[in-house]
Amino acid sequence: MGTEMNAPLYVEGLCKNYPSFQLKDVSFALEKGKITGFIGRNGAGKTTTINSVLSLVKPDAGKVLFSGLSDAEHSREIREKIGFVSAGMTYYTRKKLRAITGITKTFYPGWDDSAYRKHMEAFGLDEEKTPAELSNGMKIKYALALALSHGADLLILDEPTSGLDPISREELVEVFLKLRDMGKTVFFSTHITSDLEKCADRILFLQKGELKADEDLNAFREGYRILECAGEVPVGVKAAARGICRVRDGYTVLLPAAQAGTENTREATLEEIMVHLEKEGEDA
Amino acid sequence: MKLLKKEFALCMHPTGYIMLAAPLLVLVPGYPYAVSCFYMGLAIYFICLTARENHDASYTLTLPVSREEAVTARILMCCCLEIAQLVLIGVMILVKNAIGPMPNPAGIDAGAALIGDCLITFAIFNLVYFPLYYRDINKPGKAFLLASIAVFAWIILSIVGTYTIPFFRDVLDRPDPACMGDKLLFDLGALALYLGGTALAARKSVRKFEETDLHL
Repeated sequence: MGTEMNAPLYVEGLCKNYPSFQLKDVSFALEKGKITGFIGRNGAGKTTTINSVLSLVKPDAGKVLFSGLSDAEHSREIREKIGFVSAGMTYYTRKKLRAITGITKTFYPGWDDSAYRKHMEAFGLDEEKTPAELSNGMKIKYALALALSHGADLLILDEPTSGLDPISREELVEVFLKLRDMGKTVFFSTHITSDLEKCADRILFLQKGELKADEDLNAFREGYRILECAGEVPVGVKAAARGICRVRDGYTVLLPAAQAGTENTREATLEEIMVHLEKEGEDA
Repeated sequence: MKLLKKEFALCMHPTGYIMLAAPLLVLVPGYPYAVSCFYMGLAIYFICLTARENHDASYTLTLPVSREEAVTARILMCCCLEIAQLVLIGVMILVKNAIGPMPNPAGIDAGAALIGDCLITFAIFNLVYFPLYYRDINKPGKAFLLASIAVFAWIILSIVGTYTIPFFRDVLDRPDPACMGDKLLFDLGALALYLGGTALAARKSVRKFEETDLHL
């Protein structure tokens, strides 16, 4: 009950059925002031989960609470305290940022103009520009500036670093870390796992609509080891493998750390874990 | 009110204002005047189309507002345009009659009854367009096509009616001030239809929109 009431976002038994896809019984709780990475391949259900959480799609079952409040009864209060940023979304591309801001701020009683000016300056944003004139990274920063200026405590970011060059991604990761330092809770969906290695505290791993992991990032990574095989994968190793991938000089095998030992194996990156787990059950 | 301001500031398409010039068509001899209302329907379609391209729904629904408020604001903005159109049609009727009234072979004459004719045209458009549009906001074209068919069915009926239906021929399609009482009663009935029809359209639209999954 404590988690349910205190977590910035608490999700329990979330289900959504589409003809060709099911989100199955997804449950998790975010920790306040932490960055939680939400990973999974394209089509795993990350956006469906986020859209369900935001009530943009109607879940078939499940409970969603924001700091103990349900969206059905407290939609207005909740939306005053969350910021949603999506890389694929660009609003009103031909309107000046000044015009978009001018309208947006009227909806938030807690809007802080000086904070807005500060964030716009820090992000190097010019209000006289239109979203069409901004790079993808700058668009994300503008969306963040809006969210931070209305006092959002929870930032829900759907693939914010997709399509960005490495430098822009690095800049955004730094922004996310600053947000965490400010005590903000960040929920960050991506399939670019290297970004999460730099900033996430916790990882949620979604696979084919099911939540397969909900762990501390380090614990999640330490739970697996990679074995590199120059030739064929030995039968005994195959039996224990959680996924086998073909590489230039042979195969890499993901093994549970408890069964792998540290000899001949090395640490697994988040990307290796995700890619290997996606291949679990396939023949090498 | 904030949402209505947002609709005008961020969602308005230039055709919304440009089509306010369509009442000038009332000065054209032998023109089906209710068609000028269809042009405003076209502008409303452009507004909804542009809203889709600008991801307006995802912006709006992450603001602290309900889906009901979002739908109401959009319909209210469209009603503002329609009412402005009607006022300008009224002005053009006065201008035309000051210049010199002339009978119109293509539908109801430019007189008091034309206002009622236009109110019914807008009522039909709103009743068909908005509930279909809010069933799937990503397909405004389908809703517009069906609304256009309904609107033109009414326009054709009212033109044919000026030759075949006694009430249209002998009362509504006569130069002012003949039958003014009946014409004003017709206008009042049309106003009730417009208000009731639009309110019903708004209610149905809200219900459809609240049931819809938004794939943004």
